Amino acid sequence: MNGALLRHTWRVQRTKLAVVSIGLTVWGFLLPVVYARFGSQFTALMESELLPEQFARFGGGDVFSLSGSIALGFIHPIAIILTSVFAVGFSASAVAGERQRGTLEVALARPVSRRALYLSLLTASFGFIAVTIAALLAGSISGASFAGVVEELVFRNLPLLWLNGVLLFGAFAAIALAASVSFDRLPPALGVTLGIVVAMYVLEVLGSLWPAAEGLQPYSLFHYLKAKAILTGRAAPLDMVVLSSVILMAMVWALVVFPRRDLAAPS
Amino acid sequence: MFGFLGPNGSGKSTTIRLLLGFLHPTAGQGRVLGLDTVRESVQIRRRLGYLPSGIALYDTLTGEQLLEYLGALSGRPASRRVELCRRLELSARTLRRPVRDYSRGMRQKLGIVQALQHDPELAILDEPTEGLDPLMQRAFYDILDTLKAEGRTIFFSSHVLSEVERVCDRVAIVREGRLVALEETAGVLARRKRSIMMRFSGPPPRLEKVSGITNVEHGNGCLTCRVEGSVGPFLAAIADAAVVDLTIEPARLEDAFLEFYDEAEAT
Repeated sequence: MNGALLRHTWRVQRTKLAVVSIGLTVWGFLLPVVYARFGSQFTALMESELLPEQFARFGGGDVFSLSGSIALGFIHPIAIILTSVFAVGFSASAVAGERQRGTLEVALARPVSRRALYLSLLTASFGFIAVTIAALLAGSISGASFAGVVEELVFRNLPLLWLNGVLLFGAFAAIALAASVSFDRLPPALGVTLGIVVAMYVLEVLGSLWPAAEGLQPYSLFHYLKAKAILTGRAAPLDMVVLSSVILMAMVWALVVFPRRDLAAPS
Repeated sequence: MFGFLGPNGSGKSTTIRLLLGFLHPTAGQGRVLGLDTVRESVQIRRRLGYLPSGIALYDTLTGEQLLEYLGALSGRPASRRVELCRRLELSARTLRRPVRDYSRGMRQKLGIVQALQHDPELAILDEPTEGLDPLMQRAFYDILDTLKAEGRTIFFSSHVLSEVERVCDRVAIVREGRLVALEETAGVLARRKRSIMMRFSGPPPRLEKVSGITNVEHGNGCLTCRVEGSVGPFLAAIADAAVVDLTIEPARLEDAFLEFYDEAEAT
């Protein structure tokens, strides 16, 4: 790992990181407030059977409990898009984008091995994700306090939820970075990663809304984000193991492929 | 000072990328400063500075931030930065501006500073005067003279043969990926055929059988020929002729280069 590269990356991304973190804090704040304000009305609506039962378990979240609303905050497209700014956008462009612009060779002309460069960028990416997930959780805690429902929250479960979120988006970051070191241009690296994220999201949502498609959910990494289960003290270690394994596989790919690649002159 | 010559597509940049470890040789091996270009690439890059052709820089950074960052990546103090900036007229005020606002010449100057600021043992410069005005070209040549006097090695790749002739002690010529010539610049110039034009009164001197003289043509009191190597035999042969005017074209690397390529294509 290279300290100078890591510091430079953090400095360049700090404004974007602040904006995304603020966005996620606001988003995290809203859902407990919505639960506290409208939760009982939503429950009544569901009990009236006007809405299908599956509506109550969209992606493992709901608005009928504080844990469900926080879980919904994690799996909702708004949170995923905001977190993906770093998990997908930054990670996919970290190497392929620099290759395309021609700046990678200026950095690699220094005594920095490709493995050190990759590990520095992966560390930076995990750091950004850790901050953004912490911001989402901080927003949720603030929202629960503001709405007067914070006593429903079991604080000792929050670090595990943070870890689960970091591992999920860290897995996408590792995939994005593996794609990034494999291509010379940004569009294919970004396209492959976005394709994987969108396909997995569709599988997860489809499986949660349509019982016949439930069998597809294990093929989605989103399935291993168990926010509600963790908040209610029912965390399954296997979920963390699956996410960690994906990160490890993507890392092995990148650490094998990147140092062996020929980096021709940028066109 | 080592000049590396060849037309577009001859393999100059590919050779440089092999030396820097960006490309892996399909056969054979390369050594720089006694180190293997594949296995010891990082150690090589610790001791060199590199200016790529048409350098791409981080546009969002200021010139100062860019030099700081690249200096930190080099892992050696930027002992020459102040001197280089002064000689290339990069003021502190200029360096505080974002790189995106720099003209092409300013970017090139920044590229030269980043390549040489840490006082490398070996500098690989690919088309270093691209975009520099004549005054800055002169300042750059003066910098090279200083480095040369201090025993540094410069690997100088250029299309501009007049500047290679001006600064380089040795030249290599590459053609279709193969090194076809490697010798002292003075030796190349001494071997080149120079054009001679002479006006005379009376009978023309007989030059056809003089050593090193070819392409003899005369008429209307004017004689042209070409001479290879020393002009001594030619001067001896015209000693008795009534010479009115004599022009011997100075030896230029550009002509030697073109002659070399013509010969190589003929064979």
